[in-house]
Amino acid sequence: MSEWVHVAELKELTRRKKKQVIVDGRPVALFLIDGEVFALDDVCVHKERFLTKGTILDGQVICPGHQWKFDPRSGRPEDQPGCQATWPVQVSDSGAVLVGTVPATPRESSGLEDTPDVAAAGSERP
Amino acid sequence: MTAEQTVVVVGAGHVAAALVKAARRRGFAGPLVILGDEPTGPYQRPMLSKERLAGAGESGLWLLDPQWCAANDVTLRTGSPVERVDAATSSVLLADGGSIPADLVVLATGGRPRQLPGVEGDRIHTIRTLADSDRLRERLAPGRRIGVLGAGFLGTEVAAAAVGRGAEVVVFDVAPVILARGVGADIGTAVQALHAGKGVQFRLGQGIESVRATADGVTVTTAAGAETVDDLVVCIGIEPNTEVAVRSGLVVGNGVEVDAECRTSVPTVFAAGDVAAHDHPRYGRLRVEHVDVAQQQAAAIGKTIAGRPTTFADPHWFWTDQYDINIQGLGLGGIRPDDRMVARGDLSALDGTVFWLRGGLLVAAATVERGEDVSVARELIDLEIPVRAEQLADEGVELDELLDSEEVNA
Ligand SMILES: Cc1cc2nc3c(=O)[nH]c(=O)nc-3n(C[C@H](O)[C@H](O)[C@H](O)COP(=O)(O)OP(=O)(O)OC[C@H]3O[C@@H](n4cnc5c(N)ncnc54)[C@H](O)[C@@H]3O)c2cc1C
Ligand code: FES
Repeated sequence: MSEWVHVAELKELTRRKKKQVIVDGRPVALFLIDGEVFALDDVCVHKERFLTKGTILDGQVICPGHQWKFDPRSGRPEDQPGCQATWPVQVSDSGAVLVGTVPATPRESSGLEDTPDVAAAGSERP
Repeated sequence: MTAEQTVVVVGAGHVAAALVKAARRRGFAGPLVILGDEPTGPYQRPMLSKERLAGAGESGLWLLDPQWCAANDVTLRTGSPVERVDAATSSVLLADGGSIPADLVVLATGGRPRQLPGVEGDRIHTIRTLADSDRLRERLAPGRRIGVLGAGFLGTEVAAAAVGRGAEVVVFDVAPVILARGVGADIGTAVQALHAGKGVQFRLGQGIESVRATADGVTVTTAAGAETVDDLVVCIGIEPNTEVAVRSGLVVGNGVEVDAECRTSVPTVFAAGDVAAHDHPRYGRLRVEHVDVAQQQAAAIGKTIAGRPTTFADPHWFWTDQYDINIQGLGLGGIRPDDRMVARGDLSALDGTVFWLRGGLLVAAATVERGEDVSVARELIDLEIPVRAEQLADEGVELDELLDSEEVNA
């Protein structure tokens, strides 16, 4: 069953709009886009760069690795294979950001990862 | 229109794969046919000097899924070299004498490696196809000394793969610094140091006087002396495959000449990718050899044939991955000698970005390990947001805030 973990405060996202947190040992990217908080796997399905090192443009998350554009709601890259897992998010009245411990939608491999097992387990790049 | 039009793509590479996907996504309903001369369907060519050269895996290699093709009325014919396009009879003629009906044609024949005249044999390699890469991989082994001629992207990627497989590597180029033509001398110098640290040897700044291949090895002679290697990989650029275009009577210069929408001199024939000399709205006529450009041009044609005329007008973008370092360039083809260069971060530590400015506007950027700067650069160029050199150089300034300041002003 999914539990909720308190991973950040909303105000930590207001300036840079992004933050990496760890949920269940797995790096998760929080993005604040048009007033809404989204949580995706931080490790890119392409070649394991961190999405939180990237940028947000026109409501999309751009991975710094090879400029893939991800829809923060679905975790899907535009015109590319694979999908980032998305995680359930709640923001409390006091501004606490809670993330569920079970993904809302699963990660799908792109088939292009350098180390697919590492990416699937979500550990950091060495 | 009474019947749906048939589109035939000549050449089964990156353009072909991107085109059929884009056409279907945009609602084009007619039959799509791809004619390729290679024995396989389209694959990730960049992997041939990277993942696939390092090891023989197929993960992520194929660009088109046969099931998707079957479900989307996409017919792929491999091993089918095309002779020419006959626009007058709306058909494409095959080398074997066959003929295929084609209302619209997309020429995507790519290019072939430039060779050293008179230098051939089993020890001489070029890389363009899967077969080339697989043949070379067998030679990259401990105890073997591999020469690489040309220190551009391809040559340096081959060098990285070769040392990764335990071979000894020596890279020759007339340029004094690797990659400098591509991304500038600062990034080139830093990446060269990275290669040297991995054991790659360099013979730079010397023209090649002769190359002699014998049964026992290949001897490369420069002003600095002669050097013998077991195998020589020739990475000195490509020539566009323009024969089909010439035989079809299209206007051909340095590539098949196309307008901003990628249309050739015959209105029912398009061309894209490595073979196309595109009239880019921003830079004028340019033939560019990058996957992203091939895909974007194909996507533009896909939209156009689906009924929404579209030009390709974005700045050209490319990447190269060497060891675990990521390098990207944006708009570099448009740089002029008097553009102002500004560095951000620490390039010598392989962590920074170079920007090129003209009259207060950004024109180009190249980065090592800071792809996020390239995303912002793309917006700065696209929206023509004025920036100052001091802001770009100052790491205290968040680059994406330069975009916000525009929104406030607007
Ligand atoms: C080893 C290697 C590494 C690369 N790495 C990068 C990289 O890291 N980043 C980057 O941006 N770009 C890279 N590139 C460049 C990139 O692969 C090309 O820009 C891209 O493949 C161009 O796509 P295309 O469809 O125009 O041509 P191609 O992918 O070459 O496809 C053309 C196809 O047409 C076929 N053909 C030719 N003539 C005929 C005919 N008469 N009839 C039928 N078929 C024909 C060819 O055999 C070929 O299969 C690399 C290229 C190589 C070779
Ligand atoms: S690592 Fe994310 S796009 Fe390549």
